[in-house]
Amino acid sequence: MTETIIVTGAGGVGKTTLSAALACAIADAGKRTLVLTIDPAKRLADALGIEDLGDEPRPVIGQPGMSAAMLDVSASWEAIIHRYAEPEVGDRLLVNPYFRAIADRFPAAQAYAAGERMAEYIESKSYDVIVVDTPPSGGGIDFFRAPATTGDLVSGKLLKWLTGSNMPGRSFLYRFTARPMLRLADSVLGGPMLSDVADFLLDLRTMYDALSNRSRTIERYLRGAHTVIVTTADPTPIHETRRFFRELGGIEIRPEGIVFNRTLPRAWVADADRPIRGVDDAALRALAKENLRAWAGEARRQEDAADEVSARYGVPVHHVPWVTPPPTSLEELTALLDDTGVLPQLSS
Amino acid sequence: MAETELIFVSGKGGTGKSAVAAATAISRARTGQRILVIDMGQSLGLGAHLRTPDLSYRPTEVRPGLFAISMDRSQALDEYLKLQLHVPQGAPTRQLAGALAVLADTAPGVREIISIGKPVYEQWRGTWDSVIVDAPSLGQLQSYLRAPTTISSIVPTGNVKGQSERLEATLLDPAITSVLIVANPAELPIRETIESVAVLTGEHLCPPPRVVMNRLLPESGLEHDRLDELPKGSVRDAASLQLALQAEQAEWSAEISWEIGLPYLRGVLTPGEVAEQLADVLGGRA
Repeated sequence: MTETIIVTGAGGVGKTTLSAALACAIADAGKRTLVLTIDPAKRLADALGIEDLGDEPRPVIGQPGMSAAMLDVSASWEAIIHRYAEPEVGDRLLVNPYFRAIADRFPAAQAYAAGERMAEYIESKSYDVIVVDTPPSGGGIDFFRAPATTGDLVSGKLLKWLTGSNMPGRSFLYRFTARPMLRLADSVLGGPMLSDVADFLLDLRTMYDALSNRSRTIERYLRGAHTVIVTTADPTPIHETRRFFRELGGIEIRPEGIVFNRTLPRAWVADADRPIRGVDDAALRALAKENLRAWAGEARRQEDAADEVSARYGVPVHHVPWVTPPPTSLEELTALLDDTGVLPQLSS
Repeated sequence: MAETELIFVSGKGGTGKSAVAAATAISRARTGQRILVIDMGQSLGLGAHLRTPDLSYRPTEVRPGLFAISMDRSQALDEYLKLQLHVPQGAPTRQLAGALAVLADTAPGVREIISIGKPVYEQWRGTWDSVIVDAPSLGQLQSYLRAPTTISSIVPTGNVKGQSERLEATLLDPAITSVLIVANPAELPIRETIESVAVLTGEHLCPPPRVVMNRLLPESGLEHDRLDELPKGSVRDAASLQLALQAEQAEWSAEISWEIGLPYLRGVLTPGEVAEQLADVLGGRA
């Protein structure tokens, strides 16, 4: 059976790098591993050998057993349409401006595409472990909600509202209840917008059964996955972490661990108060002392934030050291997780 | 009274745009300006930086002269219908609001026009010296600013079109509107900022954006060649981290031109303190 690890958290905390690092380390342990990444930095993409590639998994050169794929939202949605819509409806949808707008912008659309891709890779049975890097919108929460949200969109809730019918057909739309409303709205809004939208939703509706079944499958995979939250000690990511626990709890997903990225050594806090020995140049000594003191303040803040989060949520907290410049070679990536305890926790 | 300034603060997630938006608002309010700051509803960070976590659609005076609201789409929709579309008397407003809500979920540009309509409408009212928007991430800001054009292309006539054209004129007026993009001196934020500036200026979506470089580490005076003179352990490790970050910062901050630099605040605990200290540094410059 394929194990799935979902890496989530606020923007800018290093999710993509840590997802890649996890996949490297797991592949090192001899497992067939895939990392599904969203938007890697150029140097990371270079290291993984996925620069300018589509969303088909490619083997990572230099890391036996590991593959990487980059999510391409538009391509994924086209694949979804081809898979679940009648050919004629699919062709109409793909050129429909409303569909384009939804696929490009609707936050759930990106997240749903990522979930669909994840499900396909799980079902391919080609991997022992899949590491999923999540889209940053809504701190990644959208990713977990996307199946339900997408279900709502195609379930015809909007259509029912527009037409007042439970199961509207195309011809019904332009009769009875719907017509005066549409006409009024269009005259105020200044165009045939609502009618166009209704047309679009009717097309989307034909995919409903397939997509809603699929949504349930994706939800099942999400519940069965290991979820890890990545954060730093900065206020915003901490805030997002809290929101995560609150909102994921509501949909029965419980993060198994928190990874604090860019952690400074705790020893700096105490060492900042000790005199510096063995440096003759007083000016250099003063600069070094001042520098350590400034970073010790940061280390103390990190310590407080990590203690608070770990006490509040009672899940293991792992610390990944602050490495700069960010790791880009496969060796550096794998080394990032040495001694962190993340791997033993996830593989137990 | 001078024309109300309309300032959008955006940036890649994690760069500190809510902090910069709050600091800009605080530093301007300190000079006696009457300020409205709007949380567009993406970050949840603005309220924390203003020490008022539960902002609502009704302005809260968070300090003298500084008012804050957070976007609420259904209330913005209501306001849009009543105040901006001038829906004829006797029209079924509730149904129309429902119709617009459907459109906002589906049609390109509608959600964005309703959201961006709010700050622009506040600018039109003329009751503020500045309206500051804690805008969504860069990609979404582009869709917001593109919305008037998108709407004009799908709606041939009518109130929505007329209102969109007026909106566009305000957004493009350099005497009124400015866009601040918050970046950090590291690879991803700089790359994303460069791309975004190219799109915003290339498509003429707003006046040329200004870049705020946030989280600049103060120079330490330490030198790479002298690391060996420091004792191994914490002292040398901290110096080495500092120098590596300074090098990364020098590399990436040189990739783009920026006009306002803000410091990385080490050891500062709360979002409120961060905003306050950044406001001290800004001193009304942004």
